[in-house]
Amino acid sequence: MLTSLYVEGRSWFHRLPVRAKLLALLVLSLALFATQSLYLLAPAFLLCGWLYFSLGLTFRQALARIGFLFFTILVLAAINLFLLPVAEVAALLLRLMALVLFAAAVTATTTIGAFMDEVTFLVKPFERLGLLRAADVSLALGLVLRFVPDIFARYEAIREAHRARGLPIRPLTIIGPLIILTLKDADTIAAAIDARGFRRQ
Amino acid sequence: MNTRDLVLIALFAAIVVVLGLIPPITLGFIPVPITAQSMGVMLAGCIIGAKRGALAFLLFVLLVAIGLPVLSGGRGGLAVLAGPSGGFILGWAVAAFVTGLVAERFVHEGQREIRQFVGFFLASVIGGIVVLYAIGVPWLSAVSGTPLLTAATGSLIFIPGDLLKAAIATLAARAVYAGYPLLPARA
Repeated sequence: MLTSLYVEGRSWFHRLPVRAKLLALLVLSLALFATQSLYLLAPAFLLCGWLYFSLGLTFRQALARIGFLFFTILVLAAINLFLLPVAEVAALLLRLMALVLFAAAVTATTTIGAFMDEVTFLVKPFERLGLLRAADVSLALGLVLRFVPDIFARYEAIREAHRARGLPIRPLTIIGPLIILTLKDADTIAAAIDARGFRRQ
Repeated sequence: MNTRDLVLIALFAAIVVVLGLIPPITLGFIPVPITAQSMGVMLAGCIIGAKRGALAFLLFVLLVAIGLPVLSGGRGGLAVLAGPSGGFILGWAVAAFVTGLVAERFVHEGQREIRQFVGFFLASVIGGIVVLYAIGVPWLSAVSGTPLLTAATGSLIFIPGDLLKAAIATLAARAVYAGYPLLPARA
C-alpha cells in the first residue's frame, strides 16, 4: 500500500551517500536564497532539472511527482508579476523550481533504509540527553507501516456498513468510529511489544 | 514515555495516513475541496493531547521526508517540504501541540456536553487554523517572494473550509472523548 518514492537505479547520484545528498540540499538552498543573479539561478535550475530527469524516471512519472508543486509555484509567480519587478519574479521562480527539482532527485535516489540510518544518526545527540531513543523512532515508523493497511481495511468496512444501511458516506460519521476502533487496539499492541521485550523495559 | 503512548502516537500517525487515502469532498459553497487529512491536526490535538499529538505529527512529517507518499493525493518526499507550502506541513506538529494544550485546558470530564463542544472547537480553531497559518503563511511569503499581506489575503479563501473542518473535528473528537477518552491520560 505504501510504496516509497525511491526509484531503482545505478546513476552516480544513486551511489552518493545520503548524508552528502542532504548536505548538498542544505547548501544549495542556502546558496540559492543568497543570490538574486539570474546568471547563477538559471544554470542552477537547468542543472537540477537535468539531474532529476536523468534518474531513470519516465518523463511522465517525473512530472507527476512534482507537477502539483510547479503548479502552485507558477500560480504564485503569476500573482507576483503584478506586485514585483519581472527580474525578481524570474529569480524567485527559478530558485524555487531548482530547489524542488533537487529535493525530488534526493527523494528518488534514496531508500527508506538509508534515510532511517541517517535519522538514527541525527537522533543520537537527543539520545545522549535522554530525550528520545533512536530505537523508538524506528519502532514507531515500523508500526505505522504495519498498521496503515489494517486501518484502511477498517475504513472500508465502515464504509460498507454505511452502504448496507443506506446511509450517506460522510467524513463525520466515519472518522469517529475509525479512530475509536483503531486506538482501542493500542493496549493490546503495547502489551505485545512489551511481552517481546523490544524496548528492554 | 511508556509503550502505550508510543503505540498511540504511531497509530494516530497511521490514521492520518489513511485519512489522506479517503477521497476529498467538494462542497458547492467552498472553492477548495476538503481533504480529510487536513483535519488530522485538529483531531490529533483534541484526541490524544498536546505532547502525543505533536509527536504523532513529527512522525508523520518524518514519513513525508523519507520519501513515503503519505500526503493526500499520494504526495510526499523532500520536494514537498522544499516547495511553497512546506511551512504548513512543518507547522502541523506545532499546531497539533497548541490544539492539544487548549483542549486539555478547556475540556474535562463531567462537564456539560455543550461546554466540551465549545472547548474542542476553540482548540481546533486556535491550533489548527490560527497557529498553522501563523507559521505557514509567513513561510510561503518568504519562500515564494509573494508579499506577506497578499499571501495572507489569498489564504482567506481557505478559512470557510477550515472552519467547517474545525466543526467536523469537534464533533468527531467529542464522539471519541465520549466513547474512549484518551485526552486526560497525558503523556
